[in-house]
Amino acid sequence: MRNIDSAGHLRGESLYLDDLPELEGTLHAAVFGSPVAHGRVRRLEIGPALETPGVVAVLTAAEIPGENQIGGILPDEPLLAEDEVHYDGQPMAIVVAVDEAVARRATRAIRAEIDELPAITDPREARRRGLLIQPPRTFSCGDVDAAWEDCAYVVEGVAESGGQEHLYLETQGAYAHRTEKGGLRIWSSTQGPTVVQRCVARVLGLPMKEIEVDVTRLGGGFGGKEDQASAWATMAALASLRTARPVKLVPHRLDDLRMTGTRHPYSSDFRIGLDEDLKIVAYEVTFHQNAGAAADLSPAVLERTLFHATNAYFVPNVRATAYSCRTNLAPNTAFRGFGGPQGMFVMEAAIAAVAERAGVEAAEIQRRNLVRVGDTFPYGQAVDEPTAEATWDRCAERYDLAGLRRRVAEHNARDPVRKLGLAVMPIAFGIAFTKTHMNQASVLVHVYGDGSVGVSTAAVEMGQGINTKLVQIAARVLSIDPSRVKIETTNTTRVANTSPTAASASADLNGHALVRACSAIRGRLLSLAANELGLEAGSVDLREERVVVGATATRLGRESLDWESLVRAAFFRRVDLSEHAFYATPGIHFDAETEKGSPFGYLVYGTAIVLASVDRLRGTYEIEAVHVVHDVGESLNPTVDGGQVEGGIVQGIGWMTMEEVIYDEAGRLRSGALSTYKIPDVYAAPKRLEYELFETESGNGAVYRSKAVGEPPLMYGIGAFFAIRDAIRAASPEARPSLVAPLTPERVLLALYPQGERATEAAFAEGEESPAEVR
Amino acid sequence: MSRAVTATLRVNGEERTVAFPGHHTLLEVLREECALTGTKHGCELGECGACTVLVDGRPVLSCLTLACQHEGREIETVEGLADGNRLGPLQVAFADLGAAQCGYCTPGILMAAEAMLREQPRPSRERIAEQLSGNLCRCTGYLKIVEAVEWAAAVRRGEDAGPPPEILFGHPEPGRPGGDAPGRRPSETASSNT
Ligand code: FES
Ligand code: FES
Repeated sequence: MRNIDSAGHLRGESLYLDDLPELEGTLHAAVFGSPVAHGRVRRLEIGPALETPGVVAVLTAAEIPGENQIGGILPDEPLLAEDEVHYDGQPMAIVVAVDEAVARRATRAIRAEIDELPAITDPREARRRGLLIQPPRTFSCGDVDAAWEDCAYVVEGVAESGGQEHLYLETQGAYAHRTEKGGLRIWSSTQGPTVVQRCVARVLGLPMKEIEVDVTRLGGGFGGKEDQASAWATMAALASLRTARPVKLVPHRLDDLRMTGTRHPYSSDFRIGLDEDLKIVAYEVTFHQNAGAAADLSPAVLERTLFHATNAYFVPNVRATAYSCRTNLAPNTAFRGFGGPQGMFVMEAAIAAVAERAGVEAAEIQRRNLVRVGDTFPYGQAVDEPTAEATWDRCAERYDLAGLRRRVAEHNARDPVRKLGLAVMPIAFGIAFTKTHMNQASVLVHVYGDGSVGVSTAAVEMGQGINTKLVQIAARVLSIDPSRVKIETTNTTRVANTSPTAASASADLNGHALVRACSAIRGRLLSLAANELGLEAGSVDLREERVVVGATATRLGRESLDWESLVRAAFFRRVDLSEHAFYATPGIHFDAETEKGSPFGYLVYGTAIVLASVDRLRGTYEIEAVHVVHDVGESLNPTVDGGQVEGGIVQGIGWMTMEEVIYDEAGRLRSGALSTYKIPDVYAAPKRLEYELFETESGNGAVYRSKAVGEPPLMYGIGAFFAIRDAIRAASPEARPSLVAPLTPERVLLALYPQGERATEAAFAEGEESPAEVR
Repeated sequence: MSRAVTATLRVNGEERTVAFPGHHTLLEVLREECALTGTKHGCELGECGACTVLVDGRPVLSCLTLACQHEGREIETVEGLADGNRLGPLQVAFADLGAAQCGYCTPGILMAAEAMLREQPRPSRERIAEQLSGNLCRCTGYLKIVEAVEWAAAVRRGEDAGPPPEILFGHPEPGRPGGDAPGRRPSETASSNT
């Protein structure tokens, strides 16, 4: 089934936040952000802004009626800075004006007098100074210290991965207006309507019942609107409360980039040990997560890094320690994969490093150590399906890994300039929120008198196709045509206490709850039908909109008993045609004391082969091909799932190759526009991308066994890093490519010509420009 | 604030006389005064392509051009692409292949592609990529978009074409809905949601 939203998208009729019709008297807001990354605020001069024609109000922390606090996990983030600022762009004041241009211009009239303090941007330095978000956490199993003895090869090193801007094409935004009795209705571009509701209630000092949050759809989220939509919504709400007018706040792209966080950069130390048979015996890793200036979701992201520290491999002796380091950058946040990719990258880096030492292909090590049934991950979850090996073997066979490798070698022997490289990237990604309590969802289903169906859930449509899957599920349970089903906006007055649409888990959580609700209605309708027909309950069935007994369609009087007449009869017989239902993922648990448990409903596996070519003269590269076998259980919608695979891979490749978030020493974002921060364009997509949606018997926790698909494919992109690295090594035996991502063409060139890098460094040391400024 | 001007714009074949501040961009006037919100904004700096519309058949970034300069020109937006209830071949190909995910980049990409297809009925992959190189999409990874444009071109030429072979991968059962049997045409109408 095609995406049910596509017709609206293609006609330009889909409504995103900024497309909603404006209410009479709507004002527009813009945010004034701190001009420095760290300092003590002496004075905030808002007078000139307030005098600007068209400006209605300028709001500071003093105007906040409730608590000036938006931190979800830890209370460490004010909505508007007061005495101190901790990152460049940190919101300090809100300008409300008759139109957007006036509001934005007036922010420039605000003056902040700030005594600057040193800005810390490096997580290792933050750790040295004891600036941690929380005490470090360690996941371990076996006896690492003793295990090194048994190793034939031990390699240690440093691996780093950079930030990644979400670059949802639709920026953040919110639109708020007052309702009766001092409440507020807020349209927000958020993945977490309840997160917004809770945050607004807290800051405005109102009970949650007075705050209604509604989400139509998102022009992309990718995690960037899981927690960080709240600040914008709360500022719009505050402005609306204070001006008594509807207020819209849609930040300019440049403000969005500057004021919101990115994927967490990590700087990590690893040590890996292999025995003679290339079995991984021991792995030790220390992660330094660059959390930015506030906790935001960093502790949860950090936890998932630990869960995925060994990727798809069984390692008997592990010690993984993670530090969440407080720096003077905009708070970093959720991004597709949620810390998992960062953990997996270090593991793959360690394997690449030890493969070089042992003189074998990384793939030899990878294949030999994939998890099997009965193995456990360091945190205790047992592997219950053979899919890691199965997808690898299927991928190697279907796309002829051996043949590809031969062709790469032949090509490289022939071509002196363009070198090919190959890498295999297996993944294992756990599905569930790692915070067990968040694995719940509820839905509300109404069957209307004409047989059409309205479905409200906690899920937010942001391009991942959740609405389509929900329609399919409702239609399947009720045995009706999908065109009868409408997915309503996500609204806190219809579905309360929602978990954000995140962790790839929404189709499972909301889908299961929807199955329950629709089954209950179906059950009531069928007993009514049996009753009316004078048959035994259980003897009638609903099939393709008809009530049947066995294979025979039934009639009631002169009418054939179809869906519409059944619903009509139910209405007149006073049968409840609505249902609320709830679902909580069973069987998952995790004990943060022992750091052991079984936090995931199931895991998603898969394997990608990535081929890259590097131009050894220019350092430029192309992704020649990506071949994937991806575990879907049994896909509910191959078009939607395939789209997630393709889009995730390209986003992952972007993170690993071209997307470079750069801050200068003062903590200012230097890659804060689309001209300086490059996401993949059409030329950056792989020249060839083939995938098989691999059907498995597993995935019992998934709705209709259609496994979650939102995040996992992104991690295939890690293969691009190692494929390029492989090509660099083919190009130059002297090359010493470091394990630092993104592997930009600049870094490739420097790796190809290490003498050149030393020369460049020497030049910087002499000159007055720092590398950061030149880049 | 600059003076309001009044201008008559021809948008999707319809004349509209609108008043707006003289410095407003075509993007702003289309969205605000004409209430045509199908045209999106992703940067307002000419860097993302989401605001692409056609002016006299040529793709233009509406965020970089003033509305008042467009009197007497033929402006086309995504809202004018469909023929009433019937989607055009380009739209149908996008829907069938899943080339629109969140849909935010889609109007701009459709307009850029439409301009090319009118002049070049048989564009190569390279030509399609070139035409779309100014349009960013964060969701799809572009492959389905390029395939959809290629497929739509074939259908417009009147060929009984199936979708490009690439999308056969990943669909274990050819012919599934949403799908892929060789020789299949994009579904005829896309007005229903199935
Ligand atoms: S909004 Fe015009 S190019 Fe981005
Ligand atoms: S479909 Fe979301 S940006 Fe292209």
